[in-house]
Amino acid sequence: MSARSPAGTHPEPTFTPLDIGHPVYAALLDPDSAFWALLDKTRVADTLAGGPLRDVYRQHAEACRRELHALRFELKPSGVYLNPTERCNLNCRYCYLPAAQRRSGGHMSLDRLLASLSRLRDYFRSTMPEGSKPRAIFHGAEPLMNREAVFAAIDAFADDFIFGLQTNGTLLDDGAVSFLTARNVSIGVSLDGPSAEITDATRRTWSSRSVHNRVLAAMDRLRGYESWSVIATCTTENLPHLTAMIELFHAREVPTCMLNTVRCTLPGARTVRPDDAALSRAFFAALDRTYELYRDSGRKLVVANFANILIAIVAPTARRLMCDISPCGAGRAFFALAADGSLYPCSEFIGLPRFNGGHLLADEGIEAALASDAFRAVTGRNVEAFKPCSECAIRHFCGSPCPAEAHEMNGAMGGTGAFCAFYKDQVNYALRLIADGKADDYLWDGWDDGTETLFDLAH
Amino acid sequence: MTQTVLTQAQAQRVSIPSPAIAPAIAVRKTCNPDGVGLSHYVLMDKKGAR
Repeated sequence: MSARSPAGTHPEPTFTPLDIGHPVYAALLDPDSAFWALLDKTRVADTLAGGPLRDVYRQHAEACRRELHALRFELKPSGVYLNPTERCNLNCRYCYLPAAQRRSGGHMSLDRLLASLSRLRDYFRSTMPEGSKPRAIFHGAEPLMNREAVFAAIDAFADDFIFGLQTNGTLLDDGAVSFLTARNVSIGVSLDGPSAEITDATRRTWSSRSVHNRVLAAMDRLRGYESWSVIATCTTENLPHLTAMIELFHAREVPTCMLNTVRCTLPGARTVRPDDAALSRAFFAALDRTYELYRDSGRKLVVANFANILIAIVAPTARRLMCDISPCGAGRAFFALAADGSLYPCSEFIGLPRFNGGHLLADEGIEAALASDAFRAVTGRNVEAFKPCSECAIRHFCGSPCPAEAHEMNGAMGGTGAFCAFYKDQVNYALRLIADGKADDYLWDGWDDGTETLFDLAH
Repeated sequence: MTQTVLTQAQAQRVSIPSPAIAPAIAVRKTCNPDGVGLSHYVLMDKKGAR
């Protein structure tokens, strides 16, 4: 770790050289501030000895450190993941929610949902700047199993929240799409393969029926809507087909997708956990295909989880996803409300009772949950506190996700999650794209609107 | 004929063209953080097309 400089003095660089696998460039990183530079490989030794880059570092390092500290430790929640039901009509092999809940659990009543949103609105009004709306994302299990309550809640609180909905897509019929798109609700659906055979390997109904074509039909209904995305969970079952999946998504005009690693929180997920090296090969082939498709068609298909790594490098505070930062966003940037009214740091923890932070509608329910041992166990997970992350140069680009996964796999919060080597590969790939001037081709148009440039050595 | 003897540095300049040095790249942008997405969901803020 680098030593912090006393206030008012210029910090000395503590650069770590990094071979990023580029023919010309190597990286120098200061892990504590997430300051980085790409240099001609022949100049690395000279730069470590002195020169203009050190001056840039001295000028900006403290601002970078302060910014990173604020992002990691000073946020207040501005979003909630709402589980309006425990039930799901699918039995996906890697789900992080217990099967008994998904099969025969209960719905949240409309009255309870409205009371919950009222409490949440009042809380966010007390903590967020005036004029800022919190995010409320209906999440699963499958939220459209409790469709009437969800839609009534969206209309009742239209002025108070920016709504989103993550669904398996099987219940997203014409009426649902019309309702949600008319209200600009951000919609996410899930599909794991370019063909039914591949999707069926991980995502099926309780009676083992295929849902692939139903999800494709939902995607057709969403075509032309800008605020939607598709999540594909990368497992041993679909790894050879990621590039074909990208082609399918692009052909169906999906604006954004995620190629997520399977979260290995519950044992079922670990049965389809891919090897890091194989995952990297398939993932980067898929990313390369998005680039080719963009060059050929002029239309981007952004892979959001990778885009978030790129953004974490160039503009740490502009992250859209809060998994790849330590502590992660769970219990501090957002929290989750289970269908029984209990609060959890993140939906990923809902199957783990020890992370129940108490009831939303109890006195001081949210404040008590945020201060609870259950939440502090997650918000206190810090990459500086355990190896190998504390010695890793990219720890603030990766964040060592995910605490639920790490806890269940390692028996404690210390220790990496399931895909340490894959994250390192992603950071190297991202730095190579920056070196080649291609980064913007992998990001949303206008991704940096509203940002300010602290420094840009090329200008 | 007069022979010109080059210093070592002059010899290198004459006989070995200096390779172009790739320019250094370092960028940092900043904004007010408001990310609340997670691996199960990414918020798309753009207005609906319909």
